Amino acid sequence: MKTFLRIGFIVLLATACAKNTEPELVPVYKPTPDTLEIPYGFPTRLNIPDDNPLTKEGIDLGRLLFYDGRLAGRASEGKFMSCFTCHIQENGFVIGKPRPFPVGLDGQPTRHAMLPLVNLVWNEGTYGWNGSVKSIEDDVLAVITDPTEFGSSFLAVEKAIREIPGYPVLFEKAFGTKEVTVERIAKAIAQFVRTMVSSNSKFDKYLRGELQLTQSELNGFVLFTTEEGADCFHCHGGSGNPLFTTNLFYNNGKDSTFAGESDRYSVTGNATEKGNYKASTLRNIELTAPYMHDGRFNTLDEVIDFYAHELVWTPYIDPLMHHIATGGNQLVPSEKEDLKAFLMTLTDTSFIQNPAFGKPVSFPGEKTMILK
Amino acid sequence: MNQVNTLWFQVPFPFKQIIFWSVSWLVSLLFVTACEKKTSEPPDTSETRITIRFEHRIDGQKLQYDTLLYVNEAGNPYMVNEIQYFISDVILYPHNKGPVTINEWKDIHYIDTDLPTTLRWDVYDQITAGQYDSVGFHFGIAESENISFMYPNPPERDMFWPEYLGGGYHYMKLNGKWLPEGQSIQTLPFDFHMGIGQIYDSVGAITGYVHNDFPVILKSSQFEIMPGETKEIAIVMNIENWFKDPNIYNHDLYGGYIMQNQTAMQKAKENGHNVFTFAETKN
Ligand code: HEC
Ligand code: HEC
Repeated sequence: MKTFLRIGFIVLLATACAKNTEPELVPVYKPTPDTLEIPYGFPTRLNIPDDNPLTKEGIDLGRLLFYDGRLAGRASEGKFMSCFTCHIQENGFVIGKPRPFPVGLDGQPTRHAMLPLVNLVWNEGTYGWNGSVKSIEDDVLAVITDPTEFGSSFLAVEKAIREIPGYPVLFEKAFGTKEVTVERIAKAIAQFVRTMVSSNSKFDKYLRGELQLTQSELNGFVLFTTEEGADCFHCHGGSGNPLFTTNLFYNNGKDSTFAGESDRYSVTGNATEKGNYKASTLRNIELTAPYMHDGRFNTLDEVIDFYAHELVWTPYIDPLMHHIATGGNQLVPSEKEDLKAFLMTLTDTSFIQNPAFGKPVSFPGEKTMILK
Repeated sequence: MNQVNTLWFQVPFPFKQIIFWSVSWLVSLLFVTACEKKTSEPPDTSETRITIRFEHRIDGQKLQYDTLLYVNEAGNPYMVNEIQYFISDVILYPHNKGPVTINEWKDIHYIDTDLPTTLRWDVYDQITAGQYDSVGFHFGIAESENISFMYPNPPERDMFWPEYLGGGYHYMKLNGKWLPEGQSIQTLPFDFHMGIGQIYDSVGAITGYVHNDFPVILKSSQFEIMPGETKEIAIVMNIENWFKDPNIYNHDLYGGYIMQNQTAMQKAKENGHNVFTFAETKN
């Protein structure tokens, strides 16, 4: 009786709050969860979809695919392309060439200048210059079929990756079975891209109190964050927003007409958004020329001159562009130098040299197949 | 405690066991029922709550954005593109009782005319039913609570006020355009931004800061909440009042930007006393 009482008691306690779930008979394979550390001052809210959590195996696979020229599924034509063809780490993940734009596998140029791949885990669902792409996964799928990029098909890409010895087993490690689908390819690459965090520029170190900026850089910082100075922070962030982008869309006064643009208006149909593009991040801006969605400026000096003297009035200009009253912020040459010096403190060399984001040393099936 | 111990020792052996196990069973049964209750709790109909809506008007009419429809007291034709601002420490003054601050654990509320979800605030706290004499709040964020880096995430993050200019957050960004004197088409932007002001010396160095937040008590804001009711009230920003009474605010004079212009921000602050009004809305 005593034993019965005791056992009953223990069983009762043990089941007291247990959820009513089916017992797991077969242990389900689970890849190793991975987490991102949130750097000082960065947003604590990450955009990681519920159906694609970060895992070590997923990120590793994504990195291989990102850099594998066979990804486009056109190796049989002797054509190789991957994300890496255009998004190159040492250039802050852009192609790093002035206009004309990069071309896809069929020789067609991309519609816009490039955007860097940096801190995209904090983009809340508006990728691309006009914000038309809702997720990194969607972007990968679009790259596959876009005639200005891979110009390929889902079937061709799936087949190409499936037939490379060594890949299916990596899909099994990342997703539980050997099945190779474009959705899984997109998920793995998106996981890898989400790990690309840059938080170690000279300016970050200054914010963390690890070093002091030079007088010229400090002057530039003050210009950047004051209305009477250059006033860049309202759209591009600053100490309170170390991403150096709001991920919002503005018309910054470059042109007098906006016909046929692929601007924000072309996405939302809201007439007040004509000529609006994303105020893209200024992180690593020194490395990511040419500038603006159409790559019209080749140097930071040209950009700074534009904001100083060359603004164009239209009814669409963003209200935050108050310097339009005088055609620009009218910086004098020494101030322009200071502003540029500050912009250069946003270069993060540890990011562009981080081996975790670099090209893998070897690829699956490398010995048995041609690889470029 | 000693008393209990002594008593316990005096209980003869078999009874001791029986008492111990009965109590244990009882306690664990309590556990079980406690867990079950969570899922089957009936909704509490006696909850008394408050919802605050934020409305934006010019000359008594609902604001129409992006069109040059309005003329301010100084005679500037103008339009409004967007308004983003903080109010904090919302206080209800019950009749014949001491004031109650609502949502004390998250007492700063962000309102953004581009984000409809921010225009309605379902206050978490239970409110005591009864008569209320008035509603008050703080425009902006009080000095002690206006701490740099406290909002890492958008949209509040993008309200940050540069460290060099005093830090913390903008109290308000009211962005619009006006038609300057002598112009017929070419509007210019005005960024009517309020936050911490600066005092400059003769060579332009900052020697001190001024906190421009201010308390508001809404006129004629008495209302009654019945038990179990969710009362909906509205805080209305009457935009034209930012530009008059006591100071006529002329955009031709103050131009497009005022973050470094304490004179202009002071005028705005003084005009702020009757910008906000109360409205009771039907639910
Ligand atoms: C042919 C060159 C090219 C290739 C190949 C390419 N991209 Fe891009 N990428 C671009 C250009 C150009 C843009 C700017 C697109 C726009 O907004 O019009 C861009 C934009 C992006 C963006 C949006 C960034 C932002 O800040 O919103 C992501 C994400 C991206 N690419 C990921 C990838 C991935 C992943 C791959 C490989 C599957 C890839 N790209 C392959 C040229 C390329
Ligand atoms: C009203 C918002 C706004 C303000 C203020 C503003 N920018 Fe921009 N900036 C933008 C937008 C929008 C773009 C992208 C425009 C496009 O591509 O057509 C941009 C693009 C840029 C680029 C090119 C980015 C790239 O990846 O090609 C640089 C560099 C830049 N801005 C620097 C500055 C500087 C320096 C200032 C201050 C003098 C400043 N901006 C002020 C909105 C703004």
